[in-house]
Amino acid sequence: MEKVYTPREGDFEFITERDINVDKNFASQGYWKGVAIHFARNKFAMTGVVLVSVIILFAIFAPVFSSYAYDEIVSVTDAAGREVVAKSLSPQFAGEGEGYFADKTFIFGTDDLGRDLWTRTWQGARVSLIIAFVTIFIDMIIGTSYGLISGFFGGRVDNVLQRFIEIAGSIPTLVIISILAIFMDKGIGLVIASLLITEWIGMSKIARAECLKLKEREYVLASRTLGAGSFHIIFKQILPNTIGPVITQVMFSIPVAIFTEAFLSFVGVGIVLPQCSVGSLIEAGFNNITILPYQILPPITVLAILMLGFNLIGDGFREALAPKLEDM
Amino acid sequence: MRKLWIVLLALVLFTAAGCGEEKPGGGDYLPVMLERSVISLDNDYIMDTTSMEVLGNCVEGLLRQDRNDKIIPALADSYDISEDGKIYTFHLRDAKWSNGDDVTAEDFVFAWRRVCADANEYAYMFSDIGRVKNAAAIISRKAAPVTLGVSAPDSKTLVVELEEPVPFFLSLMPLHIFYPVNEKFFSSLAARTYATTPETFLSNSAFTLEDYKPGAANIRLRKNKNYWDAASVHLDGLAYQVVTSPDDALTAFKNGTLKLVKIDGDHAKNIRDDESLAKNLRTVNVGHMNFLVFNTRNENLANQNLRLAITHAVDRETLVNDYVMDGSQPAYTAVRPNFAFNRYNDEDFSADQNKFAEYVGYDVKKARGYLDLAKAELGAKTFELGLLYSNDAGTTLVKVAQALKAQLEANLPGVTINLQPMTTAERLDKSKKQRFDIVLDAWRPDYADPTTYLTLWQTGNANNFGLWSNARYDEIISDCMSGDYWNYDDYWAALHEAEGIVMREAAIAPLYFVNQTILLADGVRGIEFHALNLPRVFKFATIK
Amino acid sequence: MTKYIAKRILLAAVTLFVIIFVLFVLIRIMPGNPFPVERMSAEMILQKRAELGLDKPILVQFADYMRMLLSGNFGNGTSLYNGAPIKPILLACLENSFKIGVLSIFFGTAVGLLTGIVAALNRGKFLDGLCTVLSILGVCIPSYVFMIFLQYFFAYKIPFFPYFFDPSRFLFSSIMPALSLSLFTISTVARFTRNEMVEVLNSDYVKLAESKGLQGFELMRRHVLRNALIPVVTVIAPLVVDLLTGAMVMEKIYGVNGVGKLMVDAIAGEGVDYNYVLALGIVFSSLYIGVMLLLDILYGIIDPRIRLSAKEAA
Repeated sequence: MEKVYTPREGDFEFITERDINVDKNFASQGYWKGVAIHFARNKFAMTGVVLVSVIILFAIFAPVFSSYAYDEIVSVTDAAGREVVAKSLSPQFAGEGEGYFADKTFIFGTDDLGRDLWTRTWQGARVSLIIAFVTIFIDMIIGTSYGLISGFFGGRVDNVLQRFIEIAGSIPTLVIISILAIFMDKGIGLVIASLLITEWIGMSKIARAECLKLKEREYVLASRTLGAGSFHIIFKQILPNTIGPVITQVMFSIPVAIFTEAFLSFVGVGIVLPQCSVGSLIEAGFNNITILPYQILPPITVLAILMLGFNLIGDGFREALAPKLEDM
Repeated sequence: MRKLWIVLLALVLFTAAGCGEEKPGGGDYLPVMLERSVISLDNDYIMDTTSMEVLGNCVEGLLRQDRNDKIIPALADSYDISEDGKIYTFHLRDAKWSNGDDVTAEDFVFAWRRVCADANEYAYMFSDIGRVKNAAAIISRKAAPVTLGVSAPDSKTLVVELEEPVPFFLSLMPLHIFYPVNEKFFSSLAARTYATTPETFLSNSAFTLEDYKPGAANIRLRKNKNYWDAASVHLDGLAYQVVTSPDDALTAFKNGTLKLVKIDGDHAKNIRDDESLAKNLRTVNVGHMNFLVFNTRNENLANQNLRLAITHAVDRETLVNDYVMDGSQPAYTAVRPNFAFNRYNDEDFSADQNKFAEYVGYDVKKARGYLDLAKAELGAKTFELGLLYSNDAGTTLVKVAQALKAQLEANLPGVTINLQPMTTAERLDKSKKQRFDIVLDAWRPDYADPTTYLTLWQTGNANNFGLWSNARYDEIISDCMSGDYWNYDDYWAALHEAEGIVMREAAIAPLYFVNQTILLADGVRGIEFHALNLPRVFKFATIK
Repeated sequence: MTKYIAKRILLAAVTLFVIIFVLFVLIRIMPGNPFPVERMSAEMILQKRAELGLDKPILVQFADYMRMLLSGNFGNGTSLYNGAPIKPILLACLENSFKIGVLSIFFGTAVGLLTGIVAALNRGKFLDGLCTVLSILGVCIPSYVFMIFLQYFFAYKIPFFPYFFDPSRFLFSSIMPALSLSLFTISTVARFTRNEMVEVLNSDYVKLAESKGLQGFELMRRHVLRNALIPVVTVIAPLVVDLLTGAMVMEKIYGVNGVGKLMVDAIAGEGVDYNYVLALGIVFSSLYIGVMLLLDILYGIIDPRIRLSAKEAA
């Protein structure tokens, strides 16, 4: 009978730092650091970041520093003691205007109720951005989990979940919002809720596709052999590796959310006035586009810049992630 | 009114200068804007003015309105009324349907029985308003349609029996629900396909359908050669185009695509400064009254002083001049002017807009006084009220609602108004279930009598959304509707009293009487505009 | 393969059935249903509801509805067009939307592909930049701005095209609506084509083919286009459904009697009719599911790997 050797203390010793060979010439760099550097070198993407940041800054600060409230109907008392409303004034600066409002500044002019469009445009941008960020954030969580679960388990689970997506995706948005309106008051909440219902689908598709790719990888197999549970693998192993494509999708989804909100306003089921969003401002300006074109210009420009910015950022992300994706 | 004639005259002169415009698609087809698509061309189902107008150019009833809203003969040559006012005998003229069939009294009998049997939106004109014998029983399915009090002793005589004498019965006759339908033709069609294509439709008036599909954005009507009065019709036809954006309407008018368009307030204001277009601008009286209804089931709005405070806090002049801007007039009565005239002295029921100055009008001091009373009585310092309005019926209402919110919140400290926009269907649904605080409602008169408005606030009326109730008011109205007032002067005075009660208790807050601003191309004349029934009649229209 | 297709079709049918059920239930609980009327009393409405069978249990109503659907019928409306049968009206509207949609897809895909290919072949050069800017603009500018712009300039300022859509001059008057719809298609297709092309052009097999001496058109046809365009189909397919069904704003602006307008008419305004909403919902969903099904089957034929994985899944 052979004698079994039992290891004793002293057989092994801890290696100390000086024994590890670290490549000092080519410092190792993290995955995200690489992406960030790649992204920062991309001129288009950085333009996008600047554009979006400018709009966000204005959206945060312009309504605060404006001399009018976004829902304030600006009026003065005329010589006859009658109240005159600053309706449909074209853009003017204090001292340059005419009539009773000569000493007031309306950078973008006023709307047909006499409210300052400068304040309203940035308030609208603020509301639109809030709607977009909130929905996309929640959609990202829902969509990603849904897609990962669907992709990871595959088979019957995948089949049922995908059929559910088909069902959810094919109900017209107008019907969804009409039915939601029974249970909720119209307004930002309703818009967010209806966007939540429709927008997560795209996200889940991306996550599912990524998951299908990743679940065959060796490290997943390794985890599984070591006895990791399905949900541990999904959320601890696969999820971190899908973040890149998901963030790219987020960048493309934000403009879609802004756009959809604009469409909802256009059809008359969006934000409730006097609250405003970029979409509702466009809708209001649309009615007077040939006679008072300055009313629609600011919100459309803001919308276009936001769309452009987010699209550029999305493209930048995709390209920054691409080198890593290629070797998969 | 005189100014309008001067404008008209000027227009005639301008016409001479502005000749030689190209006409679209062969012949004198007048291209006209419709605000929305036609919902139905079957008179039994119609409930909107657009459909009424298109149908009204194709089909005629017993009587019609002339240019000044007087009731004049149409298919009925003459009529007799029995001594007790309960039996009307109409004598029909020789008229033909567009397929050559004679228009007979049986066509009326058939159509009227059908309306009562189907019991759609306007069937109440037979029962509650017209009081035709047995109509109410048929509508509530308690009697057979053949028992309706209408008969045809011969093909040219129509006898109508009423349950009570109705002083305004003749003024109901131009309404679409009283139109005839050719029974033979109708029965030859598949179920429910009547009036869905030109082939399934018969006309007996100035025009007939040339091109129409359900929901169509363009509809063409052609002159009806078989019309008994075809000699008075000068147009070759009408080309309707649905335009939903006011901006589109203006541009289409400017480039000559349309010759009659409706313009909203902002555009009207803009056009008034534009000399080349200002001469084409007109304001026409088309009929709605917009008003606020208070839900008296709301614990706060049940308080009369709060309602009066709101009524007094609305600056209707500003509302109309600064926001509506389309020629609408501020409203201080519960009945619209310009459609209900005294039968004997032609006095307009609501000509005097100051008669209720005590109960309604813009007066911030008074409004705050009422508000303080309300606060004391209700023991509340702040009130949060929702305001329901339709956002699918044009941009004006959206603007009005926002202006109202601003005015009420500025003039009534402690009152917060939450705007609740929704589709008309949803608004009506919520209104009928009393799921509202205040609703911005509108009513266009159905017939030429003040009761078309004053029945609205009767206890139990389907349109009494606020469930306001007053015993004296109910008594007056039910007496008026059941013919208890033999003396017309008493009738008129009683209605004034009833209106006074509505105003005194602020069951509603009238806002403004809707008028329309239109652009009419040079050389187009003879279009009739009406405050009730058909908004526009093209029978006598001409293009130079 | 047949088995796979049969299975896929069966699955689609089941999905569609569930969709119809969900839509049916949702629409039955929509407010104002089905009489958004002013003058009818509450009793009359109840009575009419009973006559239409709306007081029956919802499952019974649904069974009745399915029976009707299976006989190829959408039933009658409630208030639009005096309750006429829905099918012919729906078909007429679908026809208009389809024609304009097809025109715009045709135009959009052609221009988009061309732009994308040109951009990819000139990667990094001026033409590429121009195409990229154009395609980004197309995605950024809301299509209704483009619609109004087109209408304003080419029907009003230069009155060449008719201001409104006119079915009697179909082709001529649908050029502008189709063009304005195709803007989004052009940019999406162009962008996607460019990216796919660039990827394929950089791929090893194209480099190999090049090194073997294959050049120019032959290389494009045999290796690049074939591989680059297959993924493009995936982008076009959902766009097709969108264009065929949801051009509400375009139809509003140009006055087209299409399904988008029918949907708006049925859901807002005075003639609300939820039977149309239901019928339209069913048509839209069937289209969506049909196109997805077709795509899946096509892919199964093109790419055997998908078929295999589907078999595993099933």
